[in-house]
Amino acid sequence: MRWLARLRHVLWSARADRADAELDEELRYHLDRQTEANIASGMTPEEARLAALRAFGGVDQRREECRDSRPLALVDSVRQDVKYALRSLRKTPGFAAVAVASLALGIGANTTIFTFVDAVLLRPLPYPDSERLVVLRERPPASDDTVNVHPLNFLEWRARTHAFTKLALVQTIPDNVMTPAGAEQLAEVQTTAELFDAFGVTPVLGRPISVADTRPGAAGVVVLSHAFWQRQFGGDPGVLGRQLLLSDGSRQIVGVAPAGLRVGTVDPDLITPLTIDPADPSAIGGRSFQCYGRLRAGVSLEQARAELAVVATDLGRQYPLDKGYGVFVSTLHDYLVREGRPALRLLMAVVAAVLVVACLNLTGLLMARGMGRRGELALRASLGASRGRILRQLVIESLILSAAGAACGLVLAVFATRTLVALTGGALSVGIVGPIEMNAACLLFTAGISVATTLLFGLLPAWQASHLPPQMALAGRGRGTTVDRKHHRLRRLLVVSEAAAAVVLLVGAGLLLRTFSRLTNVSLGFEPSHTVTMSVFLGDRPEAYRISLLDELLSRIETLPGVTAAGSIQFLPLSGSSCGTGVWIDAQPTGDPSHGLPTNCSLVDGNYFKAMAIPVLEGRVFGTADRQGTRRVVVIDGSFVRRYFPGVDPVGRHVTVAWTDTAPAEVVGVVGDVRHDGLTADPEPTVYLLHRQTPGFITSLVIRADGDAAAQIPAIRQAIRDVDRSQAVSSVKTMDQYLDAALARPRLYAALVAGFAALALTLATLGVYGLLSYVVGQRAHEIGIRLALGADRRRVFREIVVQALALTSAGLATGVAVALALQRLIAGLLFGVDARDPITYGLAAVAFLAAALLATMTPALRASRIDPASALRYD
Amino acid sequence: MSKPTDLVQGTLDLLILKVIALEPMHGWAIAQRIRQMSDSVLQVGQGSLYPALHKLESQGWIRAEWGESENGRRAKYYALTRDGRRALQAESEQWGRLSSAITRIVEAS
Repeated sequence: MRWLARLRHVLWSARADRADAELDEELRYHLDRQTEANIASGMTPEEARLAALRAFGGVDQRREECRDSRPLALVDSVRQDVKYALRSLRKTPGFAAVAVASLALGIGANTTIFTFVDAVLLRPLPYPDSERLVVLRERPPASDDTVNVHPLNFLEWRARTHAFTKLALVQTIPDNVMTPAGAEQLAEVQTTAELFDAFGVTPVLGRPISVADTRPGAAGVVVLSHAFWQRQFGGDPGVLGRQLLLSDGSRQIVGVAPAGLRVGTVDPDLITPLTIDPADPSAIGGRSFQCYGRLRAGVSLEQARAELAVVATDLGRQYPLDKGYGVFVSTLHDYLVREGRPALRLLMAVVAAVLVVACLNLTGLLMARGMGRRGELALRASLGASRGRILRQLVIESLILSAAGAACGLVLAVFATRTLVALTGGALSVGIVGPIEMNAACLLFTAGISVATTLLFGLLPAWQASHLPPQMALAGRGRGTTVDRKHHRLRRLLVVSEAAAAVVLLVGAGLLLRTFSRLTNVSLGFEPSHTVTMSVFLGDRPEAYRISLLDELLSRIETLPGVTAAGSIQFLPLSGSSCGTGVWIDAQPTGDPSHGLPTNCSLVDGNYFKAMAIPVLEGRVFGTADRQGTRRVVVIDGSFVRRYFPGVDPVGRHVTVAWTDTAPAEVVGVVGDVRHDGLTADPEPTVYLLHRQTPGFITSLVIRADGDAAAQIPAIRQAIRDVDRSQAVSSVKTMDQYLDAALARPRLYAALVAGFAALALTLATLGVYGLLSYVVGQRAHEIGIRLALGADRRRVFREIVVQALALTSAGLATGVAVALALQRLIAGLLFGVDARDPITYGLAAVAFLAAALLATMTPALRASRIDPASALRYD
Repeated sequence: MSKPTDLVQGTLDLLILKVIALEPMHGWAIAQRIRQMSDSVLQVGQGSLYPALHKLESQGWIRAEWGESENGRRAKYYALTRDGRRALQAESEQWGRLSSAITRIVEAS
């Protein structure tokens, strides 16, 4: 790059130099001829020369004018301006450093957040015509939430709609395979034959899942993911036709999926056929499937929604389980970024505000600088520099500042993006396939905002400075003139705006911090410290084996020294998965689950309640005496009691839970509520079934230890290997880490916004300080006179403080008004705190006023300590 | 010397175009010719001639070539381009209208 720049420089200046040389020769020729003519008319050579020069009238000035009329004149004079601007910035390194640093922070923050916005919101998913790739979900009656899809409904949608070229039903299950490294848990995506067509991709090797593969009784086949193929088979193209041993038997490898195929949020390792029996679709499960489709060309999302709404109404009449249910249709991209979008929008607004504050600050600084330089500028103007030329030079100075700011900001953004990606673990970018990295769009954005910032902060001061009447500027310092008053008014306006923006950000940060603190203080219903958890997939093994395997795992782990309790649950609280079903109390007639009372349902085993430290409120929890074949027992939680057994003792009553094995069971105890569905969701009525009596497939172990639970992990892994060498374990973490992940987003939002608010507050404080210092400097003369005439120093001090207070309270009031107006932007990200929370507003105001007061002290003290003698000598 | 006003500037352009329409000339000769042709009434500010020449050149109305002058030195000769000839036509008509209008007003009063 450097040699290129040098070459260009050489060519450029060579061209300019040649033109200059020719111009000189031309003018010299003229002067020589005129001198000769003058000599011919009788002058001495000396006189002739001088007369010729006089007649010509200022050779240098003419040369300038000729240069200006050259096509490249603009480039030349801009180059000159750049040189000049650099020199003048070098003379005030403090100013240049503050300006570049604040711009770098503002531009860096914007570029960083934009990189995320670009990767998450703007970049399409990496599939052909990805805007036609849609996701279909079910919408329960009177709910804004969506739930997974019932296979019955999938069959009906596929048969009755025309809006889609393909609809695929998918379910992801964990699977155990034996690898050289030991048992490994894999993500197996079971799908109907349409998946590849819906995503618009083709296998890189072999064939996709076919319709024949999904027929009942078809031979077992599997398509490998690209990553699994590389990892497990080293990318061997001869893998087709080989057998892969899975927990439910051996399958033939028929294809390899293309790299980067992500099914929703799942990176599959294996893709296998999903068989739906048209006669009994519910045989494979209830509302626990995902549906992906491809919109037919020319069909809009709205048309598809309308078509499905009609179908859903029909189905609601036909099937009890569909009564009141609607269909949710969205592009896959929109669906995946639904949680990231509001946060990114907020963050983008926040960093934009920071940049605006930085620009306003810089405007103030440049205006002050312009006032300080009016002598210099006036001199240039009176020496013939046009107003436009001075304006241009000042704008170029601003451009240099913002270019330097952008360059530093870009470097900052590269590091900030990397750090954020590493720290947030994808909290901002769930479901996005591509990496979060800077690309051409981001660079363009940076260039765009740096030009925009220049216009924002550079034009006003430049215009103002270039429009000073030169005679006035040269004559005196123009104190108390109209220009000066206008200058003050503008700068006050700037500082008030800056303050307002800082207040808005402070309020936002306060709200998010309070949300975060509310979330961390939410009563979970269990005690996360000193526990570890891991996911164990029991697989499609025989029922009796699953029961004995889990029992043996838990009892073996519980005998480890230091372990106090071991239990298991099907879906951990806060995992995002839960299982809803219907329940009947006492002797109510049972029937279709959708006609029962709604309840959450959890399969637990071992000493789950002890391991999670969930309090037992009444009765007892499951014991070793409760086994398969003994009386069926359940444990319910407080919410269940309040909803379905209000005011009565539930212990000893009977409930019937719609499950694989629907039979009445006795309530033996009541435990405390657990926030199962998320930190912000109120506990739902929950009934706990015993795994030993109703065995499941998926389970998570929870192990409580005396001291450091993480230290027990190797021993626990060994214990599991000892019981069954082929048993894979995944998602091993302490419960604290698990909770941390659940809090990652709110923590990130609060931390980011608080950081930006602090930045904005610093800049605004600098703005207040800068303005007051300037005012005190301007009024030094006047204050000196007053002090000389016997004015009270305390009064001078008070006067400056009052002026500052007027300024800051105007900013505060504006900020509060703007924050109230913008509350919708943040409301969706809050929990347990109102967007108009008076405490937050109060704290933000106090923080802001404290900072502003701090900024006021130095100038006010300086004003009150002015030495009258030196102030009067000043001029 | 103050900067020429627009009227003077425009007039100077017309004079230059007119003078070099006869033959290519260098700057000093153009100044001399204008003085001679106007019977010394019009004294072109010699300095202001060159910016005007360079401007006309960058407008494409005249083109410059280095040639040998009558006293044997290298000099820059200016000649009219096709565009320049068209411009001369237009400017002359414009000038005719303007001057006759001014004449009418001045003589009427």
